[in-house]
Amino acid sequence: MELIRFMVAHAEDIFGALIQHMKITGIAVAFAILIGVPIGIWISKKQNIAGFVLGVANIMQTIPSLALFGLIIPIMGIGFKPSVFVLLLYALMPIIKNTYIGITTVDAAVIEAGRGMGMTRMQILKMIEVPLSLPMIMGGIRISTVINIGTATIAALIGAGGLGDFIFRGISMADNMMILTGAIPTALLALVMDALLNFVEVKLTPKGLKGEE
Amino acid sequence: MIELKNVVKTYDQKTIVVDRLNLKIEKGQIIVLIGESGCGKTTSMKMINRLIPMSDGEILFDGKSIMDYSPVELRRKIGYVIQKVGLLPHITIGENIELVPKLLNWDKKKRRLRALELLELVDLDKSYYHRYAHELSGGQQQRIGVARALATNPDVILMDEPFSALDPMTREQLQRELLKLQDELGKTIVFVTHDMDEALKIGDKIAVMKDGKILQFDTPERILKHPVNDYVENFVGKDRLWKLPEMMYAKDIMNRKVEVIGARRRGLQAFEIMKSRGIRRAIVVEKEGKQQQVPLGWIHINQLRGQKAEEKILRDLVKVEIQAVHETENLPNVLALMKETEANRLVVVDDEEKMVGVVTQSSVLDVLADLVSEYEEEGDED
Ligand SMILES: Nc1ncnc2c1ncn2[C@@H]1O[C@H](COP(=O)(O)OP(=O)(O)OP(=O)(O)O)[C@@H](O)[C@H]1O
Ligand SMILES: [Mg+2]
Repeated sequence: MELIRFMVAHAEDIFGALIQHMKITGIAVAFAILIGVPIGIWISKKQNIAGFVLGVANIMQTIPSLALFGLIIPIMGIGFKPSVFVLLLYALMPIIKNTYIGITTVDAAVIEAGRGMGMTRMQILKMIEVPLSLPMIMGGIRISTVINIGTATIAALIGAGGLGDFIFRGISMADNMMILTGAIPTALLALVMDALLNFVEVKLTPKGLKGEE
Repeated sequence: MIELKNVVKTYDQKTIVVDRLNLKIEKGQIIVLIGESGCGKTTSMKMINRLIPMSDGEILFDGKSIMDYSPVELRRKIGYVIQKVGLLPHITIGENIELVPKLLNWDKKKRRLRALELLELVDLDKSYYHRYAHELSGGQQQRIGVARALATNPDVILMDEPFSALDPMTREQLQRELLKLQDELGKTIVFVTHDMDEALKIGDKIAVMKDGKILQFDTPERILKHPVNDYVENFVGKDRLWKLPEMMYAKDIMNRKVEVIGARRRGLQAFEIMKSRGIRRAIVVEKEGKQQQVPLGWIHINQLRGQKAEEKILRDLVKVEIQAVHETENLPNVLALMKETEANRLVVVDDEEKMVGVVTQSSVLDVLADLVSEYEEEGDED
């Protein structure tokens, strides 16, 4: 009860932090889509470099986020931009990987039929491969977003703001209520975004594919 | 229409998959490529629409090298149907059929009319236009595959085992429909299969392939009756004629040697001749000694007995009318005619109604007995 009272009292701050939090993750994911989807498509056509790119992206994923935030400071300083940049790196991997899987698992017969009919590579990409991998790509975007909402709390460390502020302040003041004030909205945001993007994913699944399986 | 000249396909410069293939495909014909798995049928076919680049040789399409067309341009002139169909699952059947017309910027109305026309052609209801691929049975999907290949009315269609994945009944139905369609549209079709029954049924000509080479390129009939070597013979299967009585004609089952006797002979004379030859029945013809002429009728030795008969000439004695059958009439029809006319023997005639042989019940039996014994021999080997 006390927690609720506390949160109501700080409602305005929480809301502001929430917006900031969404902004950091949103922008990071948006850039990750802009970069990751083309890379995913590109490596799906170049099997020889696919392993390398996926490997690099994989390794990036394994670097502890705390370390990466620390490493970026000497290069980009602190604040909004470096935070978005680090989050973008984290968001890339699931998007690249899912795009790659989506494109490479499109039924070979459909593509052969397309080629046989005289579709150009671009037409096959636009009319067959991308639409058919869209649900998979959306899945990658969803995973990225959810992970990023959590990771973004750490971005508060380098001055990006957001819900992480409450958590770090709570830790330094040994104030559990403060920590929860940051953690609970973060978790809720992740859950809501997950549900929302899942919904979009289903919506984007072409009608002709839904009946399958 | 299409000519392959010394076409070669190698992988890694050494694995020869297609070996100096020569094939001339006439307009309006169904050409079947047949052979064991891995013999290079698909590769040969895909080189025609440049889905696989050839390593050497030349392919002419409409008298022009396929390398003078852009791949896209070439493929749009050539319909393509594959075993797995490959309908785009995320768009409707109608949109699938209209895909290439759409790429060619046909207007919407024209596209739609064409799609509906094609649905009718492949015997599917208009309502399928708005359905999706996964809602269709395998047979229906392949009908759409065929319809799609026909969308822009190409002269040539390549089909790679289009019916192989279907159950036997559906397969037969689609084979029949393909033939019907072919009668209507007169396309040039290159058809890959490994099913000899299918090849014999639909091919105007069959190319039997082995190790990237064509062993024999011939009509189904000649492949059956005159295989060039043991491989082809075994591949065709010795029991094949037995299964396909339609491919056996009167001239294959007749006795070529027929006892004839001149029409001007008197009964007594004829009686003596027949007795000395040891025959009881003969065919009366205008000129003695030559078989190739118009038969007048049968004469039986019993008709020649007695005072009256001995005096008369054969022309006046002939009573039993002959039942004639053309040399290219097939076995089922020959049998049907024998049954219908209750004739024990039919005279086989050529285009000029001249006699070339006789089919008797025993000659039919002989042929069947031969086939049965070959069939059994083959069975014993397994
Ligand atoms: N990309 C490739 N690299 C190397 N060899 C290949 C390649 N593609 C096909 N081959 C080989 O070429 C040969 C002919 O293949 P092809 O697909 O033309 O056979 P097919 O007659 O169509 O057989 P099936 O009846 O099984 O479809 C096979 O031995 C196959 O292993
Ligand atoms: Mg094949």
